[in-house]
Amino acid sequence: MPAVPTVEATMLGKLDWSAIPFDQPIPLVAGAVVLVAILGVLIWVVVKGHLPYLWHEWITSVDHKRIGVMYILLASVMLLRGGSDAIMMRIQQAVAYQSQGYLPPEHYNQIFSAHGTIMIFFVAMPFVIGLMNLVVPLQLGVRDVAFPTLNSVGFWLTATGALLVNLSLVIGEFARTGWLAFPPLSELSYSPGVGVDYYAWSLQISGVGTLVAGINLVTTVLKLRTKGMNYLRMPMFCWTTLASNLLIVAAFPILTATLAMLLLDRYLGFHFFTNEAGGNVMMFMNLIWAWGHPEVYILVLPAFGIFSEVVSTFSGKALFGYRSMVLATMAICVISFMVWLHHFFTMGAGPDVNAIFGIASMIIAIPTGVKIYNWLFTMYGGRIRFATPMLWSVGFMVTFIIGGLTGVLLAVPPADFMLHNSMFLVAHFHNVIIGGVLFGAFAGFEYWFPKAFGFRLDERWGKAAFWFTFLGFFVTFIPLYVAGMLGMTRRMQHYDVAAWRPWMIVAAFGMAVLTIGVICQILQLVVSIRNREALRDRTGDPWDGRSLEWATSSPPPVFNFAFNPDVRGEDAYWDMKARARQQSLEHDAPEYRDIEMPRNSPTGFVCAFFATIMGFALIWHIWWMVILGGLGAFATFVVFAWRDHDEYVIPAEEVARIDRVNLEERRSLVSMAGAI
Amino acid sequence: MSDQTHMHAEHDLAPGDEEQHSVGVRILGYVVGLALALLLTATSFFIAGTDLVWQPSIPVALIVLAIAQMGVHLVFFLHITTGPDNTNNVLALAFGLLVVFLVVGGTVWIMAHLNANMPPMDQIMRMQ
Repeated sequence: MPAVPTVEATMLGKLDWSAIPFDQPIPLVAGAVVLVAILGVLIWVVVKGHLPYLWHEWITSVDHKRIGVMYILLASVMLLRGGSDAIMMRIQQAVAYQSQGYLPPEHYNQIFSAHGTIMIFFVAMPFVIGLMNLVVPLQLGVRDVAFPTLNSVGFWLTATGALLVNLSLVIGEFARTGWLAFPPLSELSYSPGVGVDYYAWSLQISGVGTLVAGINLVTTVLKLRTKGMNYLRMPMFCWTTLASNLLIVAAFPILTATLAMLLLDRYLGFHFFTNEAGGNVMMFMNLIWAWGHPEVYILVLPAFGIFSEVVSTFSGKALFGYRSMVLATMAICVISFMVWLHHFFTMGAGPDVNAIFGIASMIIAIPTGVKIYNWLFTMYGGRIRFATPMLWSVGFMVTFIIGGLTGVLLAVPPADFMLHNSMFLVAHFHNVIIGGVLFGAFAGFEYWFPKAFGFRLDERWGKAAFWFTFLGFFVTFIPLYVAGMLGMTRRMQHYDVAAWRPWMIVAAFGMAVLTIGVICQILQLVVSIRNREALRDRTGDPWDGRSLEWATSSPPPVFNFAFNPDVRGEDAYWDMKARARQQSLEHDAPEYRDIEMPRNSPTGFVCAFFATIMGFALIWHIWWMVILGGLGAFATFVVFAWRDHDEYVIPAEEVARIDRVNLEERRSLVSMAGAI
Repeated sequence: MSDQTHMHAEHDLAPGDEEQHSVGVRILGYVVGLALALLLTATSFFIAGTDLVWQPSIPVALIVLAIAQMGVHLVFFLHITTGPDNTNNVLALAFGLLVVFLVVGGTVWIMAHLNANMPPMDQIMRMQ
């Protein structure tokens, strides 16, 4: 006779007390510390009475600048989580020579899986999407993105995914399958726990958020540009945003479909990727990398855009070869869809296929090289100011060239047969992702922070952060190249080869240097907030910028621009400044008009709340809760769709009052510069 | 917000934006589209099960009907035209088609080569 399921078993699905890892101190203590910190912040917020402010000004905000800042905040917090995983892995490999180290295998496997998942999906993605959200509408000279409320939904769904991944730390477990959950390991027969489900559902939910952000930004660039802002007058960052978001729209559905098939295998007994009944694991590799390769360009193209802006601003010159840069960006955008097989050269597609994809992979180095030369020629003959964003950019060029060269090496199929799955590969992709994306994110953070908050960041701590991160990066990852050459494979929980040991110890030391870099960055933030009055930027143009985001105050008013700027060439704001100096400023008072702006909406937050419930319930097979969450999210959508008022009016006097302050500052700056 | 959107609206419309036709003409368009879509769907189901035609031609016929179905949707429901007001939409469609062609074509090519290089199943069984 089958056992009668108890009420709890039917009500709570697979969830019971055994889900909480009481026997593992590390995740439990980490989870407790985070929980206490979150509760502490919440209590502080409520007691101090900041809750209404947070709710009205941030959580329900549909202002692209606020949403951008929240994206970056999410990315920064998750960077600390992913970084802690990295520190734990480096220490483990430094000590686990002929011993088990301090992390048991099943825990170590969860850590490297969580590290990769978090760093790509919840650090790199939100960081670049945050910067694009913050800057692109300002650079285009418009008042908002195309779909402001959808933008908020996208952000909160991304946050939902991040929350679910972190929940796995204390309730249940995370995937032990690596960051792409390759089957058959990720199938039910080999991963019966909830780890892979946490992985898949958090990516499905945050994937919707990313797709929404992509559609929004593509539409914004294509449809909302100010007067005279032709495609070929857009700042480089807008171009790379367009390319990157086109890739999001084209590639993320592949990820969603692939994970959906994996979930069908796991939940409903399908056989897409199983070993038996005609499943084909190779199809998973093929599909996941058809998304995965464009994904790396989704991340690095915006970074290229940031470097273009920074290099041009701090060299005091227009970007060299603007049109070739546009062409290179769009070429990368298309070619990135033609190279995905280089992630599985060794799977056995044979020499014809491998050769074609190998050549296509090497060809991508050409437009990338064009970009590098353009940045170098922009700097050539310029009056370079080595402020922190510029340091990150120059550091990027040095680091990224090395990473790019090892990438071209790995694109040669015979070499890849030797090096695949080794520490050499690990070193390569960290070299391009840290050197490219993370340095780019930091450059953008330092560069646009004054725009977002109205004061500059402390230069001394910023430079210290750069040098520690830069040197720490090389001390950490060059040894990994060597270990890979010596035959060390990736993801090893322990090893017995004496020759690898010294390199692992050097890498752990490098990680310590990197950690100092991160601490410097946090201190930079603290010090800058303390000294914000001294670092205040009243003009809105602290770096002598060239594009339109510097043509408004810092932080910009909610409507960004009192008047839509009139663009007459590339480097729109630089032209305006030059014209203003020549003609001396027209001092007649401009005629202000009422401005309509979208109203705040809790839709995003409420949707994400229900999505969190639904995701959690799906992971634990709590079906009634799945239905509840789904209905709630749908009801939220219905309420939003039937809204009566979606805009409010800022009266002309208010616009005038806000704009005049900044106009005075700006005029005095321009006339001073004119006098010199 | 609104002043910016209107600026581009003269030359560049989003799908479903055009207001120049009367309601009757627009309804007629949707009805024709629906009829064509239903006709193509019914034909597909009929072809799949029939033995009136040469059997190996059935998959090809289904592909042709599917592509025709996409065309009907694009023209009658998504209002893709060749006019200058549709440049963005046509370009987006072209990019989408390119990506679909690359991914589907590449996948078929890769997987076919993989299968060609795999030893036959009974050999794999003997290896185990």
